[in-house]
Amino acid sequence: MTDAARTFVETYERERDGLPANGLDWLVALRDKAIADFAASGLPHRRLEDWRYTDLARVLEKATLSPAPSRQGDMAWPDASAIKVFDAADRYIVIFVNGVLQSKLSDLPVGVSVSSLGDALSADWAKVLVETRVSEAQATNVTAINLALMRDGLVLDLAKGVKLDKPLHLVHLAVDDGASHRRNLVRLDDGAEATVYESYVGAGATNYFADVVTNVSLGTEARLMHIKVQDEAADAIHLATLTAMLGARSYFSSFTMTLGSALSRNQTFVRFDGEGAEAHVNGATALRGRQHGDQFCIVDHAVPGCASATLFRTVLDDASTGVFQGKVVVRPHAQKTDGRQMSNALLLSRDAAMNAKPELEIYADDVQCAHGSTIGELNREALFYLRSRGIDEQSARQLLISAFLDEAFETVPDEAAREGLRALAADWFRLTLKEDA
Amino acid sequence: MVAVRETVETVHKVAGEKYKYGFSTDIESERAPIGLSEDTIRYISAKKDEPQWMLDWRLEAYRRWLTMDEPTWAKVEYPPIDFQSAYYYSAPKQKAKLDSLDQVDPKLLETYKKLGIPLLEQQMLAGVAVDAVFDSVSVVTTFKEKLREVGVIFCPFSEAVREHPELVQKYLGSVVPTSDNYYATLNSAVFSDGSFVYIPPGVRCPMELSTYFRINEAQTGQFERTLIIADKGAYVSYLEGCTAPQRDENQLHAAVVELIAHDDAEIKYSTVQNWFPGDENGKGGIYNFVTKRGDCRGNRSKISWTQVETGSAVTWKYPSCILRGDDSRGEFYSIAISNHYQQVDSGTKMIHLGKNTSSRIISKGISAGRSSNTYRGLVSVHKKAEGVRNFTQCDSLLIGDQSSAHTVPYIEAKNPTAILEHEATTSKISEDQLFYCMQRGIPAEEAVALIVNGFCRDVLQQLPMEFAVEAQKLVGISLEGSVG
Amino acid sequence: MLEIKNLHAKVGDKEILKGIDLSVGAGEVHAIMGPNGSGKSTLSYLLSGREGYEVTKGSVTYKGQDLLALSVDERAAAGVFLAFQYPIEIPGVTTMTFLKAALNSVRKARGEDELDAPRFLKLVREKAKPLNVADDMLKRALNVGFSGGEKKRAEILQMSLLEPSLAILDETDSGLDIDALKVVADGVNALRSPDRAMIVITHYQRLLDYIVPDIVHVLSKGKIVRTGGKELAGELERTGYAEFAA
Repeated sequence: MTDAARTFVETYERERDGLPANGLDWLVALRDKAIADFAASGLPHRRLEDWRYTDLARVLEKATLSPAPSRQGDMAWPDASAIKVFDAADRYIVIFVNGVLQSKLSDLPVGVSVSSLGDALSADWAKVLVETRVSEAQATNVTAINLALMRDGLVLDLAKGVKLDKPLHLVHLAVDDGASHRRNLVRLDDGAEATVYESYVGAGATNYFADVVTNVSLGTEARLMHIKVQDEAADAIHLATLTAMLGARSYFSSFTMTLGSALSRNQTFVRFDGEGAEAHVNGATALRGRQHGDQFCIVDHAVPGCASATLFRTVLDDASTGVFQGKVVVRPHAQKTDGRQMSNALLLSRDAAMNAKPELEIYADDVQCAHGSTIGELNREALFYLRSRGIDEQSARQLLISAFLDEAFETVPDEAAREGLRALAADWFRLTLKEDA
Repeated sequence: MVAVRETVETVHKVAGEKYKYGFSTDIESERAPIGLSEDTIRYISAKKDEPQWMLDWRLEAYRRWLTMDEPTWAKVEYPPIDFQSAYYYSAPKQKAKLDSLDQVDPKLLETYKKLGIPLLEQQMLAGVAVDAVFDSVSVVTTFKEKLREVGVIFCPFSEAVREHPELVQKYLGSVVPTSDNYYATLNSAVFSDGSFVYIPPGVRCPMELSTYFRINEAQTGQFERTLIIADKGAYVSYLEGCTAPQRDENQLHAAVVELIAHDDAEIKYSTVQNWFPGDENGKGGIYNFVTKRGDCRGNRSKISWTQVETGSAVTWKYPSCILRGDDSRGEFYSIAISNHYQQVDSGTKMIHLGKNTSSRIISKGISAGRSSNTYRGLVSVHKKAEGVRNFTQCDSLLIGDQSSAHTVPYIEAKNPTAILEHEATTSKISEDQLFYCMQRGIPAEEAVALIVNGFCRDVLQQLPMEFAVEAQKLVGISLEGSVG
Repeated sequence: MLEIKNLHAKVGDKEILKGIDLSVGAGEVHAIMGPNGSGKSTLSYLLSGREGYEVTKGSVTYKGQDLLALSVDERAAAGVFLAFQYPIEIPGVTTMTFLKAALNSVRKARGEDELDAPRFLKLVREKAKPLNVADDMLKRALNVGFSGGEKKRAEILQMSLLEPSLAILDETDSGLDIDALKVVADGVNALRSPDRAMIVITHYQRLLDYIVPDIVHVLSKGKIVRTGGKELAGELERTGYAEFAA
């Protein structure tokens, strides 16, 4: 076992009896089993197919993995663009510091329940969500660490037909070094609707491991929009796993903007459980320096008549590395499936690298499935054309890169957020161009 | 849905047309003792009158193989192979060395004639030289003399070991090293025969070269080894065909093919693989584990693989190109048809090392019955490879709701000047297309063939004329190329 | 040539045709007009044998035999031709290849010998010329990337090659500008003959200015509600379908 893996196991042994909801026997048993499984298998290594491009174990060796301190009280509100990105929207804000919920919201509409993980785990549906774990286990055993060590998280529960009147914005601040393991549970009952924003930022901490699992369950015709901006501190490690089980005719849309962390991996597992549902898993990634960003996505068409679309745009500068691993699975009898998947990457520098593995696994014949992947540099002819019209090279480059990312932003159904994301991309260019100058 | 059922049945007929090559030849053979050991390898080596260095090479491979594990990453399932219950060498008994066709056992000539491959030169299509490999040995090679006049060496591998040791020693294992993978290592230890081709500098091989592989004996594995070298500025087009008798047992075929193209050389390698696929219940059939790799060693060299894969119970095969020379080019064109319980996991690797190297991959997978058809491919651009271009297109056609199609591409770029494009689609034959064809009077069976033919067109066009006919028949088409 | 008696048909649970009676003799051109959803396309698909249409009552006799008992390709071989409103694309199959497959299938079924490549080529070029179908178009995959006009001309070319006894033209004017319409109409008119019957299905009178019918029927809600001479088309153009839709 590596030192990092041993740290997790030891942390569990030390903290076991102080973890939230310890009165629940099923949860304690699940945690014990999770840590035992993890101890047996260790951290994922690159010989595992799903981890061939991302060496999590290696970077974790250098990270501070003891638990980050649990803080309560007033925090300085950081002036981070990853938070301001959502300023245009009137929204509820929930703050997490080092992975711990700070304040509860009071002005919520009837039928909406927002609570911390420890309080919610006694509910039956939470048990189901946590236990099911969709197909996350197939790609990774790292969620076992989260299951064992999860300390807090947000629980959003919307009753039948309830539509959250404003987006809910989760702000995750990393104030102290160390590891934080949080788990969010989102359940939207039949016909319920919500928009959830998430911002991850470093607010003082430098060497930390942000580990988050989000389990989503959508009832019939429920709708969830999820937009996340990851702008963790430069040396941070960010590991996010989202699982979504979609009911009939439900709608799920997620967008992930990846800007921060030394190493990040964003895993999305979508499973269709009811017919006629629709899922969009999209994102944009812009990296520089020696950053490594991995987008991993599995969409499981377990039932007929569902549609999924995935689009990831990646821009890589300096010696950064981008990864896209996606898979569309169409199970036997999942006829009339529409599954699409696209990854496009731009390499801006000599030392940048991109790895893509878009996969189709199809067991039904009456389906429309397609995927594509492109990797390349900025189109030289387009650059030349713009310059021949009097646009200087830097502006021309920015124009083309913006346009490239913009096609990903276009998939965001929320107008206010879309504008914010564009502004965020512009900030990123300013820094890149300054460095280049 | 009447039409759907009809479609499925039709395609079963088309794709699963009774295996025509299922007969076996009653001929007296001599075989190595059953099972695999160093003694087996010494037996094979002695039978072939090999020099010590060749035997040592085999034994080293064997010892390495003993330490290796069978790969499990492919999307194929089969019971464990008992390597001790197979024969590793089987040869038709005949008089020592053949100087002319007159000395070939008439039964063998008859066999090849039944396979549609006449070996008597006067009966042959002008312009194709044939090496016929029967179980573990090459029985005859035609047009040898004519080829020798222009300096082309085309002979059984075992003959090359004896007569051109300097070439064999220089190139053997230089593309697929003995340590490469489980099956290639096994092949290195026990390979029996195959073809050897050397095209000297500046020579354009005056005719198509071809090898027909035939497994005849029961319980026998075939492990051929092919080595083709195109020296500077040379050109060769090589064709390979494979058939085997219909048997209830599964037989193992583990071949290794190495291609080397020097500066400005071009090798075009075409395969029609029609090993016995097993019956409609999945009984019997060949396990086909093949390592094929070409090394574009020279600048401006080109290697092109075209394959039509219709046979075998299990296919595990990735003809690849190492694009080492600057401005070199690799191509992979593939049609893989699977039916009943067949499993195909095939694709290619394009390794871009040199500057301005380019590659093109066109893969058409057609799955019917309960078969599984996987495209697995790698496009890799190394750091120093400037100006690389790749285009990949993988299309799958599903026929019936019991079959499956998978696409597993790996795309890796470490140089920003690369432009890599990959696209893949999955579809089925639509009811509307069938109705349209039938409304014009085309019977369902032909309509399906026509549509499948259209689906495969990009690849069929790559085949040399000599093979196109056979391939079209196999794909179930009748009209392609006859007009227009 | 064609005798339709009290034909009732449904798609799924919905009854579309509610008792059609129609008699078309050799050499005649019948127009069937009607508003959207009146059952025009259903009738054309049903006559050509597309699946998904269930005949619940009535009969269709073609050249003395029960048309409904024949499969799609058997009907085509017997001389029933449908010019599609939306011709389907078949990627990878060149128009030439397709034409040859179709013609030889039909010839074979009629007991005629198959045409070899040179004879076939000559025939196609001969038929293609008046329709402005260039060689280049014949080499492209069937209907793939064809313009609306090209698709319709390709349909008429097929009709001209297969020489059907009964041609059904389903909304052949849709998507055509006036010039393209003239070319197509000329092609159709050239095929008019004493041995051939045609059913022209259309929503608008425009097409019938160029392909002048002998008899015009109005189809509404699955029934033929009026039959008249070619002047009926002009009348409909002025009054619209309102009185039939009510």
